[in-house]
Amino acid sequence: MKSMNTRSLIFGATASIALGLVLPPRAAGAISDSDFNSLSNLVQQLNERVQALEQTHARDQQVHARDQQQIRQMQQQLGQTQVAVTNAIQQAQAAAQVQPTVPVPSGPSASHNFTMVGDAEVQYGKVDGSHGSFGLADFAPIFLYRAGDDILFEAGFDTTLSDNRPGSTDPGASTSFDLSFGQLDYLLNDYVTLVGGYMLLPLGTYTERSAGWLNKIPDDPLPRGVLPSNGAGVQLRGSVPMGQTGQMVTYSVYGVNGPSSADGTANADQLDLDSNVGFDSNGNRLNLHGSPSGGGRIGWFYPFKPHYDLELGVSGQSGTWDDADQHLWSAAVIDAAVHISPYVELKGEYINSWAETADSGTIHPRGWWVQGGYKLAGLNLDLPVINNVELVGRYDTVNDGLGTKTDRYTVGYVYYFTDTLLFEGDYEFPSSNDPDQAHNQYVFQLSYGF
Amino acid sequence: MKRLGSFKWRLRTGALVALVTAAALGASLTLVIGANTKPEKKAGNKQQTVAKADPKPVSHKTARKAKKKVVKRLSGATLYAINCNRCHPERYPTEWTASQWKTIMMHMRVRANLPAVQARAILRYLQADAGQ
Repeated sequence: MKSMNTRSLIFGATASIALGLVLPPRAAGAISDSDFNSLSNLVQQLNERVQALEQTHARDQQVHARDQQQIRQMQQQLGQTQVAVTNAIQQAQAAAQVQPTVPVPSGPSASHNFTMVGDAEVQYGKVDGSHGSFGLADFAPIFLYRAGDDILFEAGFDTTLSDNRPGSTDPGASTSFDLSFGQLDYLLNDYVTLVGGYMLLPLGTYTERSAGWLNKIPDDPLPRGVLPSNGAGVQLRGSVPMGQTGQMVTYSVYGVNGPSSADGTANADQLDLDSNVGFDSNGNRLNLHGSPSGGGRIGWFYPFKPHYDLELGVSGQSGTWDDADQHLWSAAVIDAAVHISPYVELKGEYINSWAETADSGTIHPRGWWVQGGYKLAGLNLDLPVINNVELVGRYDTVNDGLGTKTDRYTVGYVYYFTDTLLFEGDYEFPSSNDPDQAHNQYVFQLSYGF
Repeated sequence: MKRLGSFKWRLRTGALVALVTAAALGASLTLVIGANTKPEKKAGNKQQTVAKADPKPVSHKTARKAKKKVVKRLSGATLYAINCNRCHPERYPTEWTASQWKTIMMHMRVRANLPAVQARAILRYLQADAGQ
């Protein structure tokens, strides 16, 4: 429209000028000077207006050319973007066909697997009145073989090196290779696992949690000596969660051969807690007494939050122990453990046992122990060496039921080189009415858990 | 008299075993019925909030009750910190492969009497960052 107006004006102005020039002199002579002047002014104004319009038109054309160029550039960019999007969609579709929607770290787990875990220890100790020595070099692997989703075979060994006695017929050192446990676990369902074989017994919790790198004190608590630690038999165990807070009730019920008599009699000094595994030293099958022992544990675990929890348990076992099946051996254990923050741990057990004997009536081997640990990292001192230290202490006492009573105080530390490499040291102050057991001693132990 | 004595011992032994068994199984059954122990359908390492969906329009009272029913399900990482650290320092997930973690968790489920639901959640947490 603008262009049309401009052309009309130009045409009008040109026509007017041409008309003025070609009119006959008679006509020119007919108009007055004032009319001529006004007409001349009008022509002048029209000329100026035409020039202004021509300039505007030129600028409009320039703007239009720039707009066209920008439009072409944007169309080009749009085309490139469409190509990129199309490529991305195609690549995503191709990737989705190759990979699962949820990424799996390393593919599905193999249905069968063999894994070895365990621990190793080196110990140095000194008892008052004797020389210090490296007393233990222990390698304790646990072999785990998983056969499917619900069957596991596990076996733990203790390989230790010891000196033969000087002057013996076989001088030098000997290596012992002992089976700590060897059991088959079958996960029947979410709540029951069937265990069979040579098992660590759930009398209290200490035996099942006593690997060298888990013990914060190298020596076992004294009253653990009145209990068997292993048994050959079968067990049902499992746990039931209570709600969604981590709280649970755990249980174990088992039947094992149970303690036996060293010579078959029921004399008090012949009680043998850890034998009777079904074979004699010549490999012959034996049944040292007719009735197996039965036992179990029921526990309750309540976590307030991570690192703050309480665990309580009651366990027991009972069965005959002499070959004549006439005398009963029984035990009861109460265990407790508390964690207050990541730095404070308290735990202990009360142990009582009863053994009916032919020569001493019913004897009551018994005792209890309590142990505490405090990690100095809880002081927030920001000192690397101090932060790696845990102070530990224990009091344990045992009465063997035959007249010997021993108390012991132990103080020590654990230095954590890493989470699994520990250097432990402790000093023990025992007191006993048996002079042979009343010697102070210190023990250092380097432990590694793998 | 000897026979009577032998019978007495067996009776005592049997009674003790039966008592422990009955207590354990009774407690287990009671808790199985009472506890909400449905297996998790989907895992996550973050804490998940579980609430029952109700398609009907709800009143204020119902809404308040539903709010009370909202339960926080502990993540695998939290359960790992709760259970494993009780006996030993926590191990890094990268120390073992996903397949080895499965074996180790089966061992720990038996040894530490871990509930199956919790053991599975911990396993998923460990396998998510397992070593190659």
